[in-house]
Amino acid sequence: MVNVKRYTVVRNLVFGWLTVILLAGFLLNFPKINILEHTARNLYFHVPMWFTMMAAAFVSGYHSWKVLQTGDPLRDIRALQAARVGTFFGILGITTGIIWSRFTWYVGTDVWWNFDPRQIMVSIQLLIYGGYFVLRSALDEPGKRAKISAVFNLFAMTALPFLLYVIPRQMESLHPGAEGNPAFSQITHPVMRLVFYPAIIGFVGLFWVLYTQRVRVAWLKYRVTQDSEM
Amino acid sequence: MTKSIVALFQNASQVAVTDSAATGTVSTAYDSLWTGADIPTQAPSALEQVMLSDEKIFVVLAVVLIIWIGVILLILRTDRHLTRVERSVAENIPDADDGL
Repeated sequence: MVNVKRYTVVRNLVFGWLTVILLAGFLLNFPKINILEHTARNLYFHVPMWFTMMAAAFVSGYHSWKVLQTGDPLRDIRALQAARVGTFFGILGITTGIIWSRFTWYVGTDVWWNFDPRQIMVSIQLLIYGGYFVLRSALDEPGKRAKISAVFNLFAMTALPFLLYVIPRQMESLHPGAEGNPAFSQITHPVMRLVFYPAIIGFVGLFWVLYTQRVRVAWLKYRVTQDSEM
Repeated sequence: MTKSIVALFQNASQVAVTDSAATGTVSTAYDSLWTGADIPTQAPSALEQVMLSDEKIFVVLAVVLIIWIGVILLILRTDRHLTRVERSVAENIPDADDGL
């Protein structure tokens, strides 16, 4: 079961932490960067979405692994909710990325989507998670559903680092670290790192809060209706 | 067409370089348009004029708002599930007084 006391403490910490991140993200100045200008601040908001999605995928995969070991319905609920909130952060990441690129690199071109390798791979990853949710809804018997979807979820977790990280780095892209582009560490000002790393911690914390909240509701629902879907 | 885009961005960076020389610009390759693009450029639309004003700060605002609205929607969805569970609790245990 969820430790409600710990949840409350972490929730309050995360809310305070993210408020500071938001203030620091807008108020701290750094040397002006060509083309990017203030949109460089999106580093604090767009990029942590992907770190959070990756963290969520590992949490989800870990619980799917435990489902295969123990068959515990709470593990199944945790795997499903972590995947749901992780996909939610992925959708936020891709939407914020579309807005960022549209008004920074694609000005005057009317382009909203330019088939950047990262965009394509991330779309595939989101479709894999879509497949996970559809697979779950297609199976009626709870025990079988938990085990079969756990295997699929482990596959989704394994694919994610390659689709989000390894393959896009081999190709030409807007993103740093891609073929011909310098890596993040070579071009980012120390002031930006001061906000960026805590922002990752903050958004992973936000994931934990939203995920735990859903696990609490889903577990309550399971105890009342014996239905682990939510 | 690609040339006109490159020219556009060169002009933009020349403008930026003049006032960034004093502050010391961080060198970056973020500002190169992805070379696969071959799209004709147009005059900036009204939406672009708004988004590009004040050194593009409104792009950051839009990104933060998207995240904020997303979090609100997720919490509302969770809330709706909670309401349903509460209803089925009330149906299953009609006499229970849970103090809510």
